[in-house]
Amino acid sequence: MPNAPFVGKTATLRPFEVDDVKALREYLNHPDLMGRRHIPWGFPEFLPLIEPQVHGILERWATEERSVVLAIDAHIERQAWGLSGETSQVSELVGHAEFTWGWDPHAPSVSVVIDPEHQRKGYGTEALFLLLQHLFAFTPAHNVSCWIADWNDSALAFAASNGFQAAGRMRRVGLYQGHSYDLIITDILRPEFLQRSAERAASAQEEG
Amino acid sequence: MPLEGQLVTLREQKRDDLPFLMSLQNEPQTQAWSLALPPDYTDIMYEKRYEAREFSYDPDEARFVIVHKESGELVGQIQYTSLERRWSATMGIITATKFWGTGVALDAQEVLLLFLFCELGLRVVRIFTHSGIPRAGRLAEKSGFQVSGRMRQAIIKYGGLHDNMVMDLLREEYFARHPELADALPAL
Repeated sequence: MPNAPFVGKTATLRPFEVDDVKALREYLNHPDLMGRRHIPWGFPEFLPLIEPQVHGILERWATEERSVVLAIDAHIERQAWGLSGETSQVSELVGHAEFTWGWDPHAPSVSVVIDPEHQRKGYGTEALFLLLQHLFAFTPAHNVSCWIADWNDSALAFAASNGFQAAGRMRRVGLYQGHSYDLIITDILRPEFLQRSAERAASAQEEG
Repeated sequence: MPLEGQLVTLREQKRDDLPFLMSLQNEPQTQAWSLALPPDYTDIMYEKRYEAREFSYDPDEARFVIVHKESGELVGQIQYTSLERRWSATMGIITATKFWGTGVALDAQEVLLLFLFCELGLRVVRIFTHSGIPRAGRLAEKSGFQVSGRMRQAIIKYGGLHDNMVMDLLREEYFARHPELADALPAL
């Protein structure tokens, strides 16, 4: 179980700050994220966001009850200037991660959004693991679900690779590119996560 | 305007209904979601809930009292929530145990579905229930709902773990079951 909550090897989860608005707006408006950026209800899911709207999103994230949204900071190695060849580690906002439990902390849901410019580097997997670790270590969560649009193949593969199992769908939740689409429901149970967590720790021990 | 079925009428809530509606909420057998609705509603709490409803041109829910036509007795409540205009809504029903097995719940459900599909023009109606109350799932299936999602062990009820079930009914499925109705909306 975690020593420092929300701190992983490649990424850290932290609260959003007002200073994050510019970077947040930049990745939320990335065309590849349209329809899958997991912003609060009432904000346009398929339209570019103006700065006051991004402030509004931060405000909602900060004040919504029964929901926590955290910034994902990637730990990025940067080459120093000059000939020394030294590198330094910087933190860069690359996405956001959310868990929400509605009226029942027994069955919360999670979502992870990564800036398309930083995808396929392991940050999403790390962020999801940190979220689940928190939920199972500090809350009575038993079933954690993740709801994904049926057209979002990369997210479906991401959920499956992180141990989430198919639990059916919610049919016809909206329109996407002229067609109605479903939400695929996936879930993971506490014993399943603990098993994966133990395997991950054993594997890290072998490697390290 | 009341919505008329064969056995029941659906009408708006009235202040006089509140003690009956409160008793439904406080009856463990008629509560599907034990954690969300602890059985200790007081008169004042229920009245506040009733009074908290404000006028809106853009309501996203409606609650109807189910009245038994023959006897005039109150049967229960049926409502829709989470309305997305011209798209979807979630339905819920609660009836007094006295009326279980009499067909009035199914009649109320059909009356509300007719309203949702033909007047509100919805494309899909959903019901959330769980495997701990098979009676609710069977009632929904009688109107054509199908279980489309099932989250394992996500509900605690009667001391056990039950699956949370998403049930839904698409517009074309509804009209296929009702050949007496014509659907003028073009398919998506």
